[in-house]
Amino acid sequence: MEKDEKHFSGGKRYRNKDITVYWKPSTCIHASYCYRELIEVFDPSRRPWVDMEGSTTEKIIEVVNLCPTDALTWKYNDEALNEDVRADQYNHVKFRRPELIGSINDTVEETPVSVKVMIDGPVVIKGDFDFINGTTRKEVRDGMISICRCGVSDHQPFCDGRHRKIGFTG
Amino acid sequence: MDENKNKKPQAVVEIIEFGPLKISGNFTLKDIKRDKEESPGEIWLCRCGKSNNKPYCDESHKK
Ligand code: SF4
Ligand code: FES
Ligand code: FES
Repeated sequence: MEKDEKHFSGGKRYRNKDITVYWKPSTCIHASYCYRELIEVFDPSRRPWVDMEGSTTEKIIEVVNLCPTDALTWKYNDEALNEDVRADQYNHVKFRRPELIGSINDTVEETPVSVKVMIDGPVVIKGDFDFINGTTRKEVRDGMISICRCGVSDHQPFCDGRHRKIGFTG
Repeated sequence: MDENKNKKPQAVVEIIEFGPLKISGNFTLKDIKRDKEESPGEIWLCRCGKSNNKPYCDESHKK
């Protein structure tokens, strides 16, 4: 717990009954995935900007896991639950901050790319993949992209949050 | 960042112009709304918003 304090001394923490979310502004790249996906919880125009009562624990974890940096991480308040968190919970402190919870086995090399179809929103692709867009081919390593599924983004092929405005369902 | 260079791509993600998103290789697809998880090896996901079989492309983009 003390370690924990020190590590996040530059940041903030937010709790609900199940989990604590850690916010480390220095590593936020403002890609804004978090507030696009869950404005009820992460709203930069509000102080404090994280409202842990704004949504369900499951949904908050889902969105924290989308953060491409370690600006947002989370863990269960019940330490026992932190022991066997699945490896696809990218932003769990165990995977982002191994120093916080004992040691962790070294990298599984062939981790499958994670493709997540978000509820009424984009498809979020995370991991090591080659991305072909028109004539360009980009080698994405340990990265993330968010592709529009609603068809109306102004920044095709990427999601720019407009799916909300048009009330896209799918 | 250097170690990233040694990493091999697990999948290829391709934007088909005026069409779907093609993904092939080693990946897992998680559809949160429909509560499905699969590793199909190859898929085409709808990008136009019009498919009647979301999240997959059903060629509705051609209409
Ligand atoms: S997703 Fe992470 S990096 Fe992006 S705005 Fe939110 S906290 Fe910052
Ligand atoms: S899915 Fe977000 S803008 Fe289309
Ligand atoms: S992209 Fe083919 S049906 Fe939408």
